[in-house]
Amino acid sequence: MNIGRALVGLLVFPGLLYALPAAWLMLWIERKARARMQGRIGPPFYQPFFDFVKLMAKRTVPLPLFDAVLTAGLPILAGSSLLVALGLLPVFAGQGGFAGDAVLLVALLEVPALMAVLAGFASRSIFGQLGSAREAVLSIVSSLPFIAAVLALAVSAHSLRLVDIAARPAAAVRWPAVLAIVLCLPLKLRINPFSLVNAEQEIYSGPLTEYAGPRLALWDLAHGLEWVALTGLAACLVLPLRSGRPARDVALTIAGSLGLVVLLAVTASGTARLKVRQAGGFYWSWGLGLAAAALVLAIILK
Amino acid sequence: MSYTVPLGPYHPALEEPCRIDLDCEGETVRGAEIRLKFNFRGVEWLAERKNFIQAVALIERVCGICSNVHAMTFCRALETLAGVDVPERARHIRLVVAELERVTSHLLWTGLAAEIMGFQTLFMACFALRERAMDVLEGLSGNRVNYGMNRVGGVTRDIADPGAIRSEVLRLREETLKKIAPVFLDDRTVRARCAGIGVLSGDLARAWGAVGPTARASGVPQDIRKAAPYEAYGRLDFHVPLETAGDVNARVVVRLLELIETYGLLEQALGTMPGGPLAGPEFVEIPAGEATARSEAPRGECFYYVAAGGAEAPLRVKIRTPSFVNMPLVAAMVRGANLADVPLINASIDPCYSCTCR
Repeated sequence: MNIGRALVGLLVFPGLLYALPAAWLMLWIERKARARMQGRIGPPFYQPFFDFVKLMAKRTVPLPLFDAVLTAGLPILAGSSLLVALGLLPVFAGQGGFAGDAVLLVALLEVPALMAVLAGFASRSIFGQLGSAREAVLSIVSSLPFIAAVLALAVSAHSLRLVDIAARPAAAVRWPAVLAIVLCLPLKLRINPFSLVNAEQEIYSGPLTEYAGPRLALWDLAHGLEWVALTGLAACLVLPLRSGRPARDVALTIAGSLGLVVLLAVTASGTARLKVRQAGGFYWSWGLGLAAAALVLAIILK
Repeated sequence: MSYTVPLGPYHPALEEPCRIDLDCEGETVRGAEIRLKFNFRGVEWLAERKNFIQAVALIERVCGICSNVHAMTFCRALETLAGVDVPERARHIRLVVAELERVTSHLLWTGLAAEIMGFQTLFMACFALRERAMDVLEGLSGNRVNYGMNRVGGVTRDIADPGAIRSEVLRLREETLKKIAPVFLDDRTVRARCAGIGVLSGDLARAWGAVGPTARASGVPQDIRKAAPYEAYGRLDFHVPLETAGDVNARVVVRLLELIETYGLLEQALGTMPGGPLAGPEFVEIPAGEATARSEAPRGECFYYVAAGGAEAPLRVKIRTPSFVNMPLVAAMVRGANLADVPLINASIDPCYSCTCR
C-alpha cells in the first residue's frame, strides 16, 4: 500500500477536504429536493453549514465529566470511522489499497449505527432508548443484505481488495449486488420509507432526543458524512469505468454520489414511513433476495 | 420488558394538550390511560355571563377548526326557544358555510394523518388545497377561522356570487380527486400504515356511542344531516358513506368519500340558492325555557343544550362535542397495537382537544 496515496485519500479526496463540504452539500441537496417535491422553496445551499455553526455556538447544560466525554465521544467516533471509510473508497483505478480493505470498510460503515444505539441508551430518555432499540434491529436488517452483496462482489472479483471489487466482478453479479446495496441506503441513512429510528411523530428524534448544541452538531455532521460515504461507495460500484485519469474518476464519483442523493430524496418524498416489521419484511425479501441471487451467481460463475 | 411511554401532553404528532400514558411491552401497547382537560377555558361558564348576542360570538371560539358549527348549533337552539323561523336563503348560506368548514376540517385531518405517517409531500398537498378552501371562506365571510356568519334568526352576510364559489368548489373537487384521493387509496406505503390497525368493531362503536366518521367507518350509519335534517339538508340529495372494516384505513376512506359528497352538496346548494331575506328581526327576545339542538360537525354529532330564564343571558349552556364521545375509544383501539401506530390511531378519530377542553 502506498502511504502517500493513502494519506491523500484520507485527507484530500475522498477524505476530509472533500467529505466535509460534500456532507453539507448532500444534506442541502436532500432537503432542497424534498422541498421542491413538496412545492416549497427549500433552504439556501449554505443552510446545513450555518446550522452546524449555530449549534456549535450553543451553550448546553453542563454534564458530569463521564457523561460529557461519552456523549461527545460517540459522534466523534462515528464521524472519524466514516472519514477513515471514505479514505478507503476505490475511486482511482491504480489506488492499490490492501488485501481485506473491503472487510474494514464494511466494519467502519457499521460504526455510526452502533454509536447511535449507544447514544440513545446513554441518554436515559425513554424515546432515546426506543430509538436505539429500533436502530439496533434495523441495522441488523440492513447489514445482512449489505454484507451479502459486498461478499458476492468479492467472490466474483476473487479478492477482498476494494479496487478489485469495484473493477472486476461479472456484470451478472455486479448489478443485483449493487441494487441490493442501493436498497440498503434509505435504511442506513434513516430516510423514508425507513425513517423509523428518528420518527418525530412517534419518538421525537429517537436516539438523539436528548442531544443539543455542539454534540447535536457533531451528530449532524456524522450523518452528513454517512451520506458521503454510502453514496460514494455505491457510486464507485455502480460506475466501474475507471479511466486512469484522476480528474475524470473524481468527477464520475461525485456525479454518481449526487445523483444517488437526488434519487434517494425523491424516493423519500414519495413514500410514507413503514414500521419495523414491514421494513424487515422488505429487506428480508427484496434486499436479501437480490444479495443472495448475486452470491449464488458469483459462486456459479467463479 | 414493560415500561410506560408518555404520548404528550405536548407531542409533535398532535400539537394540542392531551396525554396518553401507554403501557408497553417491547413496542406492543398493553394498555392506555387518556388524560384530557389541560386547557380548561370555562366557555360554558362565560357564556352564562354574557347576553345572547355576545354568547354567539363567544361560542364560535369553542373550536378553531369547526367554529361555525358551534355558533350555528347554538343559534339553532336559541331559535327553537324563541320560535323564530330562519329564511330559506339563510338556511342555504348556513349549509354552504358548514360544508366548506367540513372541507377544511377533513383536508386538515388528511394532512395531519399524512404527516403522522411521515409522508410530508402528501401533507403539503393536503394543506395547499386546504388553503384554497380557506380562501373561499375568507371570500365569503372576510375571515379564515371564525367566520361570524351566524346570528339568531339567520346569517350576517349574503353570498353575492354563488356561481363563482361553485366554480371554485368544482376545482377543489377535481384537485381532491386528482391529487389527494389516489395517494390515500392506492399508495402501498400508506395502505401498509393504515390497514388493519386501530380496529373498532360496530358493536363497540354503538356501545360507546361513537359519532361521526369514526362510527361510520365501523358500519354505524349515524349522521345527523340524514337522521334529523336541519337547515337545507332535507332538500338536497346526498348519501352517507359507510365502511365496515373499522380500521384506520376505513376512517380514511369514509372521510375521503365524505369530502366528495360535501362537494356535491355545495354544488347543489350554490346552484339552487333561493332569494329572500338573510334574517328576521335584528333583536330577538329569548323567552324562559329549555331547548336542544344538534348538528353534524366534521367530527360527528355536536350537541347543545340551552336554558333561558327570560333574562338577557342564558341560565345554562351545555356543549357535548364529538371528540368528547370518541376520545375514550382510543384506549380500546390502541390495546395490542404497535407503538408506532398509536399516534395514527389516536389521530384517526380526528380529536379536537380545544372543543373537548372548552
